[in-house]
Amino acid sequence: MKAVGGRRRCAVAAPDPPTCEHPDFVWAGSGAMALTGFADGPPVLAPAPLASRAREVVQTLAARAGTPALAALDGAALLGEHAAAFGSERRGRVSPGGSCRLLRAADRWLAVNLARADDVALLPAWLGDGDPSDPWAFVAARVARRPAEDVVARARLLGLPAAVAIAPEPAPPPWLRVAQRGPAGRRPQHHAPLVVDLSSLWAGPLCGHLLQLAGARVVKVESTRRPDGARAGPAAFFDLLNAGKQSVALDLGAADGRRALMRLVQRADIVIEASRPRAVAQFGIDAETLVATRPGVIWLSLTGYGRREPGIDWVAFGDDAAVAAGLAVATGAPDAPLFCGDAIADPLTGLHAALAAFEAWQAGESRLLDVSLRDVVAHGLGHAMPPARASVIRCRDEWEVELAGVRAAVAPPRIRPAFGRARPLGADTAAVLAETEAALRG
Amino acid sequence: MARLKTGTRLKSAVCNTQVMIVAAPDADVDLACGGQPMIDAAATPPAGAVISPDAAKGTVLGKRYVNADGKLELLCIKPGEGSLSVAGEALVLKEAKPLPSSD
Repeated sequence: MKAVGGRRRCAVAAPDPPTCEHPDFVWAGSGAMALTGFADGPPVLAPAPLASRAREVVQTLAARAGTPALAALDGAALLGEHAAAFGSERRGRVSPGGSCRLLRAADRWLAVNLARADDVALLPAWLGDGDPSDPWAFVAARVARRPAEDVVARARLLGLPAAVAIAPEPAPPPWLRVAQRGPAGRRPQHHAPLVVDLSSLWAGPLCGHLLQLAGARVVKVESTRRPDGARAGPAAFFDLLNAGKQSVALDLGAADGRRALMRLVQRADIVIEASRPRAVAQFGIDAETLVATRPGVIWLSLTGYGRREPGIDWVAFGDDAAVAAGLAVATGAPDAPLFCGDAIADPLTGLHAALAAFEAWQAGESRLLDVSLRDVVAHGLGHAMPPARASVIRCRDEWEVELAGVRAAVAPPRIRPAFGRARPLGADTAAVLAETEAALRG
Repeated sequence: MARLKTGTRLKSAVCNTQVMIVAAPDADVDLACGGQPMIDAAATPPAGAVISPDAAKGTVLGKRYVNADGKLELLCIKPGEGSLSVAGEALVLKEAKPLPSSD
């Protein structure tokens, strides 16, 4: 799709391979580029081949699983699905979803996420007395006078998601750590795995959804007291990630509910869990011991900062975790960071986690997989870009990327249609629990 | 008895519990942990104080505790063996934060 003659035409779609495989073109086509940059400015290129990496990981999973549904899926386009469902757009130093902001502290920038309404009540304890009825004005004014490290340390003490906007580390961490190994199972590997998904929002449910496309059976487990908040969001998004999963709802505040959860976990081939380790322990589950003693079980632990000190108790969401990995500084500059994509650590983590869980399950040995939002992004930032970079150009009302005379439109985020409605909360509780008891007895 | 200030860190005189004041009433509060008055996080615990057996149910890291009228709210930032009370009345656990619909 070269520009023709003297009269310039706007590019309408991604060009054919191999040019479209350049990371800048994959980024432009993913929907995430349209979500990066200021609202009144151009969309911004990514500092690393993040969309290409997403595509490769899903291709690798597809090759492992051999299912047509995965083979047809473009992993790069997963990055824009949440924004497409929510109608979000790029907003510079406000995350597309609106709950996370980059703020200037006395010495450097930091990110704070106020996604949970309840967290607003913690603002005076975090930053001092005053009226937080306009929470962002309250936070910005107080943060501006203090060093970023101090402000973030105190936020973490209070369980608030916050991160200093650092530059990427010179030696990126691995995206996957095996925190515990256990005995090999005798399970015939041609069976579809049974996945028990305890996670909420985006990363974990996306992981379960991809495992489903890889042939797994997925049971989504929610607390009756604290169901997946995404149920209250756009149906197009919740249904996309959760249609086809059975729904079990348990009162995890009661002994009966915790016992039922334990039974489900004892039968699972793969457990997806996205809580802080101490929250899981409060439900009476010890993931390390389970993996060390039960043959052939994969426990996938998704956290903000991993299962090791010092970050084991830190809360994170997709936008602030990416800032903590260095993505905002790398996308903008140390004195002018920018959000990159929409909660991008979430989809990147979800698809990496699906590959890790599926490969571990195929290997047959019990493993506790430690995958963190921050490390997945930090690892992705370690991949180099090719020396030749695209430029971002305007063509009438549209933005395009151009490299060596080849142009492509910066695509808006888009969402696949769901393949059905998600099950109502707890619709399959009785059936799944009965089946689980029968299977564990037999 | 003392007036509590939002954001203040206090510790138990008899166990490892530490709390941060999230919300406080505009009045003097008789806050105790393990049956003994809580002290400033930097203070030295009085010698010889021990946990009262009827205030030894423990505190849970990361949980918020409230009194009956909800005007006093604490966050446990370090767990311990004692339990929290105001004027002899036990503080109760606040339910976990609801999840947002999106982050």
